[in-house]
Amino acid sequence: MTETGPGSSRRWWRYTIALAVVALLCAVLLGGLSAWFLGSVALAGLTAAALTFNFHIPGALIRLLAIGRTAARYGERLAGHRAALTDQIEHRVRLFASMAQAPALRRAGWQFGDQATLTDYVDDVEDVDFSRLRAGIPTFTGAVGVALGLAATAWVAPLALPPILAMLAASMLAARSLAHADAVWTRSRTLRREGAGTLGSALTSVVPLKAEGLWGPLSHEAIETLSRADRDYAALRRRQASVDALASLLGPLSALGVVAAAWLAGGRGAALLLPVFVAFGWLALGEAAAGLSRIPVAWLRRRTASRELGRWGSASPPADGSCEPHGAPQALRHPGLQRLAPDGRGLGRPLPIILEVGRPTVLVGASGSGKTSLLKQIAGWIGEDPMETRGGRLDAAPRMALSVLCLHDAAILADTVRANLFAGTRADEDLWAALAAVELTDRIIEAGGLDGWVTQSTLSLGEAQRLNLARVLLSDRPIVLLDEPTEHLDADQGRRILDAMVGRLADRILVLSSHTVGGLPQGRTIVL
Amino acid sequence: MLDACYQIGFGWSHPNTFNLHKATMYEKWGMMPPAAESPPSGLSTQFSALGLARVVAGQGTRMVLVLQALRTLLKLGFSGCTALLVGSLVMEADVPPWLAAAAAALVGACAIAGLFADRRVVATESRVATGLSDAMAHRLASMPARQIQALPAGGLIVAMQRHPEAVAALVVGHRAARTMMAAGPLIAALALLLVSWQSALLVVLLTPVMIIFFALVGETLHRRAEAQERAFGRLAGQFSDRIRALPTILANHALQAEEAKLARRLDAYAANTMGVLRIAFLNAAIIDFFASLSIAMLAVFLGLGHLGLARIPGFHDLALWQSLFILMVAPDFFAPFRRFSEQYHAKAEGEAAAAALDRLFEDGSRPFMPSGMLEAIDLSLPAAGMVAITGPSGAGKTTLLRRLAGVDGAPGPMSGGRGRPSWIGTDSFVADGTIAEAIGSNADAGSTRLELAARSVGLLDDALLPGGLSARVGANGASLSGGQRLRIAVARAILADGPIYADEPTAKLDAASAASIRRALADLAASRPIVVATHDPKLAALALRRIDLPPRVHGAAT
Repeated sequence: MTETGPGSSRRWWRYTIALAVVALLCAVLLGGLSAWFLGSVALAGLTAAALTFNFHIPGALIRLLAIGRTAARYGERLAGHRAALTDQIEHRVRLFASMAQAPALRRAGWQFGDQATLTDYVDDVEDVDFSRLRAGIPTFTGAVGVALGLAATAWVAPLALPPILAMLAASMLAARSLAHADAVWTRSRTLRREGAGTLGSALTSVVPLKAEGLWGPLSHEAIETLSRADRDYAALRRRQASVDALASLLGPLSALGVVAAAWLAGGRGAALLLPVFVAFGWLALGEAAAGLSRIPVAWLRRRTASRELGRWGSASPPADGSCEPHGAPQALRHPGLQRLAPDGRGLGRPLPIILEVGRPTVLVGASGSGKTSLLKQIAGWIGEDPMETRGGRLDAAPRMALSVLCLHDAAILADTVRANLFAGTRADEDLWAALAAVELTDRIIEAGGLDGWVTQSTLSLGEAQRLNLARVLLSDRPIVLLDEPTEHLDADQGRRILDAMVGRLADRILVLSSHTVGGLPQGRTIVL
Repeated sequence: MLDACYQIGFGWSHPNTFNLHKATMYEKWGMMPPAAESPPSGLSTQFSALGLARVVAGQGTRMVLVLQALRTLLKLGFSGCTALLVGSLVMEADVPPWLAAAAAALVGACAIAGLFADRRVVATESRVATGLSDAMAHRLASMPARQIQALPAGGLIVAMQRHPEAVAALVVGHRAARTMMAAGPLIAALALLLVSWQSALLVVLLTPVMIIFFALVGETLHRRAEAQERAFGRLAGQFSDRIRALPTILANHALQAEEAKLARRLDAYAANTMGVLRIAFLNAAIIDFFASLSIAMLAVFLGLGHLGLARIPGFHDLALWQSLFILMVAPDFFAPFRRFSEQYHAKAEGEAAAAALDRLFEDGSRPFMPSGMLEAIDLSLPAAGMVAITGPSGAGKTTLLRRLAGVDGAPGPMSGGRGRPSWIGTDSFVADGTIAEAIGSNADAGSTRLELAARSVGLLDDALLPGGLSARVGANGASLSGGQRLRIAVARAILADGPIYADEPTAKLDAASAASIRRALADLAASRPIVVATHDPKLAALALRRIDLPPRVHGAAT
């Protein structure tokens, strides 16, 4: 799509609305006109008027409306999707940018590594993306159709108005209550998430659970929770069925009402032709209202999804790239850094920190002693601690801009190897040299070279970890923080790669955490 | 994002659109496309999601069909009454006074039949989904741990959440729509036949022409969808992929670049999607066109007949009510095609979901084959005391431990009797809630015993778990470290009464915690059998018996 950007979808939405209204009008007029036409010719056929009856104009109109209905519906679908897709691109790019500001991103455990959470999230995004097409446009078109029907009824058979209005009110109330069935829908979603969570943690503990004989009951419980979610969803669908049943009465009963009202008002014979036009218009409108319950459900889903997506939003200022470039610091100090746990609580006694170029620092400690959190604190991801440099002080935000943080659970993007190295401007030789240093040359050649496509699942954990280390080698940031760099690597290879990296990063401030590496030559060790 | 188009685009109807849909579903559900060469299936019982779903659905789907056929008949009855009423009124003929009431009653009955049909669809689909879930639960409960661990966890969870529903929609909603596509037009044609066989013939003759158009559109669509899959298949999941990878992108300062790239790629993908949709929507347009065409043609023929200007066989000498009836019923002839085409995404999703479930649960389990090494080992355990399995990494310590605990199919030597067994490892399960609940979830111990157990493994003075026994562990222990899980598992074992299997219980701990775990295990060994797989010489030194495994050339089974 060539034109994007704010507001570029507006034109397409206008086309969509216009075409949707035209399609509905064509359908309604086609129904009314053909019935009126048959009635007229039947009456004319009784007399000599048959010979003078202008047959061609209504015949041509009927053909025009038939073609118009088909064409307008096709156009409406195309324009609507075009508009929705244009909005979708804008919405998703905006969401991506705002998710990048979410405080949760920099804390522990990014939930979207979990597939079930990610799938739910994408569903929510989609509910918002397409709500205009699924809810907004049909609501508007339906309102126009009903308004015209009411106006025509008021003109030809006003007596029919009260019952029609009563039915309309009943349908709208039912639809409204469906659109506000938040409780059922939210419970279904919550149960679904709970079931997935229980199942997920049961799956990671399958061996202990099996050994203790708890696997069966627990997996059953998780799946039962998911079934309960399904049953809640079924309750929502039952309500949908009621709304649809009610809506299916609207067209036919209105039609009968108009004819009956006109007859009661004394219309006979030819005088009934106009009411028949309106009645068959109502019938056609009723056909168009089939599946009406999808509209309130789309509203419901949109509201829930927006609320859900809103939870991730944050007001914090852009965290990355907004800072003025600082010179490369030679050393970072903190006389007594109050360490933070992942949830922001203070942890342990204040820790004096000295980090210097040429003296790699190893954070040693048992699993759970807070190594990753300390690395994130140094990287400026959590906390607001200023650190001292030779020239002055360096706050968290500029520190974030100056450091490259190598997370131990870093992701592989579904993209080329080149894109995955995040080194757009570097020459191919540099990229290959970095890959060689992490012993990935053969694997990358096998994957199709620098422009070969890789995904999280095409690389093993060890290969992903090594690619992740190659990213660090290609970064020119002066502060390098490695979280468990040898994880998923066998001991010898881990040592070789780490030695190579320490050598190549001798001109940077290097901090790494490990529960296997004891220490490094000329290095410092901080025991947590 | 294509998926959304399917849900709104009313007109997907050709099976060839499947390819277009596939990529999206794989993205959404995180499934891997099936391997090109289907793996040889196991010899034993196969899991067939579709077969099972059909059995559960059986009666319910038939009832749905009966109700839907009833709805169609009642609708025809309404059309007949209304046509007769309007026709007679306009022609000033005598109208039986009950006709209007009958029309209203019929349309009411039609709505009620529709309501029951819809509710029956929901109830049957819900029953099918629950039946499938139960079957999966049974399957999971009886699978050996080895096989469960081989399943892709993320994919399995999403499959459990969503696939039963999708399969149910295929065997109930979609199947009913398919059957009604045959029955509905037939009923409508028969109704037309009652009035004018020529008009019935006209709509029936239009049908093959419509199907030829379908085939032509389907062919083009197939080609376009294949081309899209080849050119843009990779771009299908870029948004969710980048959301997943956000921390990595941020850590590498690639945010701006990735944002711009994401916009470019979404744009390219959307543009291509529009190209495919242009053709795909033709399916719906064809149904619309033929329905409109039939009305236009019939109205003209019938009109000429009434005027007496032309003597078209079957279209003259009709009463007005008969022409009106024909005009009302003709669209009903085409409506089932449209309803079926709306169900299209249900077919594609249901089939993919069923195939995915079959793959996940196909019985690939081979009988547990103890290696020669394990056969040579005396697997009997003492009534109390510690047995240590030692040996270099990859020697099969964990495999042997799992064999003894009986988690991989074959029962272990201690299974049956002697109290509730415990497993201690960094992957131990931690129930949602507080430390006390995590430790006591499997025992009815008083608070004193709970506290003693927690204290003996140093859980009460853990800086990361402030609040002692009432410290909350995150949802399902997600925020716990391996070491914390391990200590919780030891505390749980203290409160249980059966044999204990411990996998590297001191590996990820600092010296003080490791010492406290060793002490706790030594105490427990006085009254119970404990098997530990360990590298820790101090722990192995506490054992009554040592099984020292020789190094193996190939990697360990785990």
